[in-house]
Amino acid sequence: MAHIYKQSKLKFFELLPVLLLFLISLSGNSILNLKFFSINIHYILVYFWILRQPRILGYGFVFLSGIISDVVFGLPFGVNALSLLIIAAVAAYVRNVTVRITLINDWISFIPALLLANFIYFFSLYFSNYSIDYSHLFVNSIFTFIFYPVLWGIFSLILNLTKS
Amino acid sequence: MDTSREDVGISIRSALLDKGTKQKFSLFVLIIISVTFIFIEKIETKPLNHIRSFIKDTIYRGAFVASIPSKGFSSVSDYIEEHVNLYNNYSQLKKENEEIKNTISKTDFLKLENTQLRRLIEEQVSSNSNLVSARVMLDKQSPYLNSFIINSGSNKGIKNGMAVLDGKNFIGRIVDVNFFSSRVLLVSDLNSKIPVMIEPSAHHAILSGRGTSKPTLDYLPEKHTIQDDNKVYTSGKEGIFSPGIPIGKVKIENDFITVQLFSDLSQITFININLGTIE
Repeated sequence: MAHIYKQSKLKFFELLPVLLLFLISLSGNSILNLKFFSINIHYILVYFWILRQPRILGYGFVFLSGIISDVVFGLPFGVNALSLLIIAAVAAYVRNVTVRITLINDWISFIPALLLANFIYFFSLYFSNYSIDYSHLFVNSIFTFIFYPVLWGIFSLILNLTKS
Repeated sequence: MDTSREDVGISIRSALLDKGTKQKFSLFVLIIISVTFIFIEKIETKPLNHIRSFIKDTIYRGAFVASIPSKGFSSVSDYIEEHVNLYNNYSQLKKENEEIKNTISKTDFLKLENTQLRRLIEEQVSSNSNLVSARVMLDKQSPYLNSFIINSGSNKGIKNGMAVLDGKNFIGRIVDVNFFSSRVLLVSDLNSKIPVMIEPSAHHAILSGRGTSKPTLDYLPEKHTIQDDNKVYTSGKEGIFSPGIPIGKVKIENDFITVQLFSDLSQITFININLGTIE
């Protein structure tokens, strides 16, 4: 009984990132918009899990959640999916070239991921003739970067629970 | 030097092309699919539109279910806030009621005068608009786009570009129609440009969204005489919308001519769509 309980608990924590990924895409909460700042939880979630445990969060799921976000936010198909895949690509590259995992390493390498993903986001929207508030996109990028360690801590906790 | 460049190349190749044990697609393949999707989005053909409509309808239903907990949470907080502000609201409503009572008599007289003048110029006095009602299904607005989803689509005769009203006030237009759902682009959105007319000066202008609750008036004549509280209506220019749908009133703020909308865009549950005029 205890073994089954432990197994199901492990399974739940393994599924949690995927559930979270789809829940935030479907409910439109992938970008947390608070009074003075906004944070892109989607980017942090994808970056962390592809970097630390790609077995749990597959690229297919990332792509699908991007497509769902596009539909929910009314953007052209593929815009969010592409920027999320760019985040995943940078995370996969960083995983290949780094040996020691530390918060500082992850945090610094998150900067090129954010820059590249937002550039692709900007470019795809420009190509699709969509106007967006670019100052908001800038503020969002800054606060996503600042907020990264907080979610890093929470996700690391979940990651430890999948191992124990 | 060459070895380090090779290492970077190998790492990039490995990141893009390697698949995990359970993964069916590599990152490279999915990136190519996404780019293809963005290009396909520009192509408008019937089969593609049907597929898009089906995918969007399905996702909207899923999104509606997924947003129930957050909606429940926000409605509880709204309920508490309403109770906290009960007395202030009551005083404000009482004041507004008195003002309305005073203006009703004025309005009746103006209505009568308006009807007489219209008869005089032999204009059609009443036009029967064909309205269809719908409920807001998803109002989870993107931080970049101000729009929401309604639960009616081509099944109710809705088409792209139709005017969307909150009661009698103009709030936006239809920009995306599926079988059972449609997307409404609000006047506050950056992509929204609406031809309008300002009363009483009868100046024509374009109402442009700014991403905030107050859109601005662009392309006004140089020597305009617009003042605070002037009313803004759809002009009906180029036959996009019926003329004379009320939108809001002018507020001049720091050299910006903004429009305070008659409807609160964050509090909309039911809307009307103007399907056009019945001949």
